[in-house]
Amino acid sequence: MALSPRWQALIRLYGVQAAWTYERMAGIGVGHAAAPLLRDLFRDRPSEERRQAVARSTEYFNCHPYLAGIAVGAVVRAEEQGVPGAAITRLRTALSGPLGAIGDQLIWTGEVPIVMGVALALLPMIGWWAVFAAVVVHNLLRFCLTLWGLDLGLAHGLGVGRALELSWLPPAARRAQRGAAFAVGLALPIVSVWLWRDGAPSGGLAVLALAIVGTVLVLSPLTRTRVTGLRVGLVLLAVALLVIGGSQ
Amino acid sequence: MTVPLAIALLVWGSIVALDLVTVPQGLLSRPLVAATLAGAMAGDVLAGMLAGAVLELYNLEILPIGAARYPDYGPGAVAAGAAAALIPAAGPIGIAGLIGLPLGLLGGWSVHRHRRNNARRVGRQLDRVSAGDARAIWHLQREGLWRDAARGLVLSAIGLGVAWAVHLVDWSTVAHRELLDWAVLAGGLSAGLGGALRIAGKGARRRWLAVGLLTGTIVAIAWH
Repeated sequence: MALSPRWQALIRLYGVQAAWTYERMAGIGVGHAAAPLLRDLFRDRPSEERRQAVARSTEYFNCHPYLAGIAVGAVVRAEEQGVPGAAITRLRTALSGPLGAIGDQLIWTGEVPIVMGVALALLPMIGWWAVFAAVVVHNLLRFCLTLWGLDLGLAHGLGVGRALELSWLPPAARRAQRGAAFAVGLALPIVSVWLWRDGAPSGGLAVLALAIVGTVLVLSPLTRTRVTGLRVGLVLLAVALLVIGGSQ
Repeated sequence: MTVPLAIALLVWGSIVALDLVTVPQGLLSRPLVAATLAGAMAGDVLAGMLAGAVLELYNLEILPIGAARYPDYGPGAVAAGAAAALIPAAGPIGIAGLIGLPLGLLGGWSVHRHRRNNARRVGRQLDRVSAGDARAIWHLQREGLWRDAARGLVLSAIGLGVAWAVHLVDWSTVAHRELLDWAVLAGGLSAGLGGALRIAGKGARRRWLAVGLLTGTIVAIAWH
């Protein structure tokens, strides 16, 4: 049984960053996701028109990968309505910024920290079930969001910007960021105590003091462009190895 | 480590690397997820979780926005989770840092190289892509996927190699071994706190972070 173009596009949206480059960002992936819909749309029209539409959809495009479906759907709808190519290119350009910003707020600084924060906080209590639940919940949400985005774009075409503005997405993004701050804050003390108790049962004060110094360096305006948590960890690890090596 | 386990870990490491960069971007590449399953494969899910949780703290400071360059902890977390399960004398936290942190850095560099390679491939197919050739686009996507899987395979193999080297050490005779745990945990907390404060930004969100920290502290104290 062949999948409908909509479902083919949905599946392809999962790999929208497979050919990601610094120059075109997700352009190739967006074109790949749009291709089945465009093929269906142009099946009774000259192939040159379809090729032009596919070429337009592979141009530079930057957005959050989970929301790329909104742009794919909107562009296909606009092609269906016979909107001129230049206007479709302008639509893609106009969508690029907002879809990136809302997606980053909703997902990277919202939903993902919420899911991982809650998983970390529940880890000492329910063990690996917390990890399993995090993966399942995230992927269910991601699937629903990707499908919703594709359908929103297909329904609204050139008017997708306005539809997006009036949708649940912008307020959800704001709320998700607050939830993320709470969830990560909740997780840090719980998982730290658990790691210290079950994984490194000594030196609590030394760890705390080093962590405070490290955090100050990570956040201080004087050092934050050069110091990351990873670098702090690697330097401390190197010092620990030197001390261990010297005492053998 | 048996050959079937090594093969299973290499496959899992490749999937994890693919998840971060290419497909399906479904949290499989998070260190907590990658290391927990690796620990379960190696026979000690708790050790895998401990290794994964401390690397997850480092991952909290990453915001993969736009063209940002960031470490890829996934394949390293697979090796770290398995090593924590197979070498209990080394301690799960110290070993997670020894294997996972340098490999995270190497992983980040490999992602950058992978994307540069993508650009070269797109450049070679530019005429066909600009002409709207769907086959050329499909070819680029498929190539990107396979090269990313190969990237994950190599990173995982390096991780397992480091794990094998770590296994050669007689950890029961190593003095001050706990310093490794302290270093990795302190670095992880710095990254986690720094990441939390960055996610929180300013204003109301920072208040939510404070409420979360307070609630978490109360839960941690009550639970112990």
